[in-house]
Amino acid sequence: MQADSNRSAWRQSIKDSLTNRDAAATVNSARNLLAVSSKASDVLFCASAFVENAEAFVAQLGVRRLRTYLVRSVTVEPVLPYLTTEAVLSGFFLDLQVGGYGSYVSELLQPDSGLVRFQPEMVLVVLDLEEVAGRLPDLCADGIGAGVEREIEESANRVKQLLTSFRAGNSARLLLQGLAAPDFTSSGDVGDANLPWSLMNAVLRLNRRLAELCRSIPDCVFFDVDRLAARYGRARWRDSRMFLASRLPLSAEFFAVYSRGLVRAWSTLFRAPRKVLCTDLDNTLWGGVLGEEGADGIHTGSAFPGNCYLEYQRYLKQLSKRGILLAIVSKNNESDVREAFQTRSADLSLSLDDFAACKIGWGEKADAIREVSRDLSLGLDSFVFIDDSPVECEAMRRQLPEVAVVEAPAAEPWKLAEALAEQGFFDIANVTDDDVNRLQEYKAQTQRAELARSAGSRDEFLASMQIVCTFRSALLAPLSRAVQLLAKTNQFNLTTRRRSASEIEQLLSSPGGQAVVVRVRDRFGDAGVVGLALAGNRGDCCFIDSLLLSCRVIGRGIETALLAYVAEQALQMGARRIVGEFIATKKNAPCATFYPDHGFIRCAGPEAAPAGSEFYEFDLTAAALSSPQWITLEGDEPHELHASTALTA
Amino acid sequence: MNSMQVPLSLRELLADVFEISPEQVTPDLGSATLEAWDSFRHLQAVLAIEGEYGVQLDPQRIPELTTVALLQAELEKKGVSL
Repeated sequence: MQADSNRSAWRQSIKDSLTNRDAAATVNSARNLLAVSSKASDVLFCASAFVENAEAFVAQLGVRRLRTYLVRSVTVEPVLPYLTTEAVLSGFFLDLQVGGYGSYVSELLQPDSGLVRFQPEMVLVVLDLEEVAGRLPDLCADGIGAGVEREIEESANRVKQLLTSFRAGNSARLLLQGLAAPDFTSSGDVGDANLPWSLMNAVLRLNRRLAELCRSIPDCVFFDVDRLAARYGRARWRDSRMFLASRLPLSAEFFAVYSRGLVRAWSTLFRAPRKVLCTDLDNTLWGGVLGEEGADGIHTGSAFPGNCYLEYQRYLKQLSKRGILLAIVSKNNESDVREAFQTRSADLSLSLDDFAACKIGWGEKADAIREVSRDLSLGLDSFVFIDDSPVECEAMRRQLPEVAVVEAPAAEPWKLAEALAEQGFFDIANVTDDDVNRLQEYKAQTQRAELARSAGSRDEFLASMQIVCTFRSALLAPLSRAVQLLAKTNQFNLTTRRRSASEIEQLLSSPGGQAVVVRVRDRFGDAGVVGLALAGNRGDCCFIDSLLLSCRVIGRGIETALLAYVAEQALQMGARRIVGEFIATKKNAPCATFYPDHGFIRCAGPEAAPAGSEFYEFDLTAAALSSPQWITLEGDEPHELHASTALTA
Repeated sequence: MNSMQVPLSLRELLADVFEISPEQVTPDLGSATLEAWDSFRHLQAVLAIEGEYGVQLDPQRIPELTTVALLQAELEKKGVSL
C-alpha cells in the first residue's frame, strides 16, 4: 500500500514536471518512481514522459542526443521503452530507429540503405545464435564436435567481414552484442561442462572471438549479454514461450537490467571514465571509528569483519593498477591516521603511498575534493566519492553535483566493493600505457608544484624542468590514445570535437592532412601523450580542426610548441595561411584567447561554418610561429608525419 | 461503453501502454479502433499484463485478444481477481 501511494505521488510529480517543463525534476521523479516500482506500466510511463520532453533534456540538462540505429534478427520492440528510459537516466537521449528482421546485412553494407540514410552516430548490432552460427547446435550434438572449431572461426569471420566493411564506409560507433549461451542442451549439464565442444563451450568460445574482433575495429565495443544472463539467472533469461511465439529473446523481467547493461557498454564509446576515487576512512576503508577505538581497535585484516574491509582495500588497489587515482577524504586527526597506517600496516593492503592525495581534517568534504581537484588539475566530473555517512553523501550531492556519490553500505561491509562495481563510472573498453602510469605522473605533479614555489621567474622555472616534446603521428600514438584524448579533454580544447578513430584516418588521407600528437616528459617523469592537433588544407590554407592539451600540462609552452609544429608542417605541405577555430563551451575558457595570444587575427570563417565558431588566421609567409626556448623538441623526422607515409605506416 | 466498466488497474495499465488517458480505455477499445494498438504494442500490453497479474497467457490465444473486453475476460478465466 505504501509503495502504491509512493508510486502515484512520483507519477504525479512527473506529470507536474512536464507541465512546468522542468527536465531535472522529470529525471529525478522518474529515478524515484523506478526505485520503488519495476512495473512495466511505470517504465512505459517514464519513457513516454522522456520522449515528450526530449527537447528540454537536451536544452536544460545537456543530455547527449544520440542518433542510433539498431539492426537485429530478433524482436526488440517491447524492450525499447526500457532502453529509452535507462539511456536518459545515464545522460543520453536516443533518436532510435530499428531495422527489419532479416535485412541487417544489406542495411550495414548497402551504400543507400535506410541505415546509411539515417546517418546514425551509433549502430547497435543485435543478432542471435541462429543468425550468427546456426549450424553450431547440430555440429556440437554428437559430443565429438568435428568441424565445430571451423564453424566458430567461419562465423566470427562472417561477422568480422560485415563490421569491417561497414567501418570502411561509415564512422558511426559500433556495439556488437554477444550471444547468450543456452540454459540447457541435449548434452546435459555434465556434458556441457566436460565436453570440449559442447554447445555451451562452443558459444562461450565464439563470444571470445567476437570480443577479439571488436577490439580490432576502431570505435567498436563488445556487449557481453551472456554475462548478464549468468548473473541474473540463465534459467529465466529467455522465456521459450515468447521466443518461439514472437522471437522475443529475453524474458520481460530482465528488460531493465538488459537495457542498463547495453547503455553501460556503449557509454565507454562516448564518455571518459572517472579518474579519481575519494574514499572515507571510518566504516569505509576500515571498520569502526579511529578517533574512538584507536589504531588497535579498528577492523581490518584477515579475520571477519576486518576481511570485508581488506577486500575493499584490495579492490581499490586493483583500480589504482589501471590508473584510477585514490584519495583519502576523511574527518580525522591526521596524526592518528598516519599512526594507524603505520601500526596496522600488516592488516591493511593499502599504504599512504598508494594515495595520490590525502585530505584529512575537520573541514567540509566538498572543500577537500575541490582542493584535490585543483592539486591534480582534474575536473570535478572526474571524481567519485564514497562515504558511509548519508549526511556527508547528501552534502556532497548538493554542493558538488558533478561528483558521483556512492553510499558505502556500513551495515553490510561485505558489499563495499560491490557498491563500486555495480556503477559504470570506471568502465573502460581498452587500457593504454598512459593510464597505467598515471599515479607516478600525478605524484610528479605535486613535486612540480613545489619547484614552482621555490623557483624564481617563470622562464627560469620552466627551463629547470627540462621539458622535452616529442611529436608523432596520431596513428602511432596509438590511435586509441588519440581518440581517448579527444573524448575526454574539456578545458584546453579549442573546438571540443569528439572525433572518432575513423574520422582521424579519413582526415589524414585528405590533402595536407595532419594528425599529430605530442608526448611530454620532464625531469620528474613522463606525462605520456598529452596533446593532439588535427588539421587539413583547403587550397593554400591550413585549417586546424582540433587542438587540445591535457589540463595537467597547460601553461608550460607545450601548446605553443604544438601550434608551431602544425604550422611548420602546413608550410611544408604548401599552405601559406593557417586558420584556427575556437568554439566556446562551458569548460574551455582557459583557451579562449589562444589564437590571438599567438598573433592570429580574427577572420571570417569558411562558408557553411558552424554558428558558434570563431576563426583566426595567421600569415605563414610573413612571420614564423616558434616554439618556446625552454622546450627541447624531439621526435620522428617531419617527413614521417606526412599524410601519405603516415597512412602506409 | 464506459471506461468505468474496466477494472481500475487494467485501465491504468493499458493507458500507459497505449499512451492514452484512462478514460479512453473502454471495453470495446481494441486494435481495430485504436491506431496505436499495433502488433508490437499488443505484445507490450500482454507482457505488462503478465507481469502485473503474475499470469502467463497461452501464446495461441494471445493474437486473438485484441480488445480490452477480450483481455479482461481472459484474465477472469484465469482466475485473476481484477
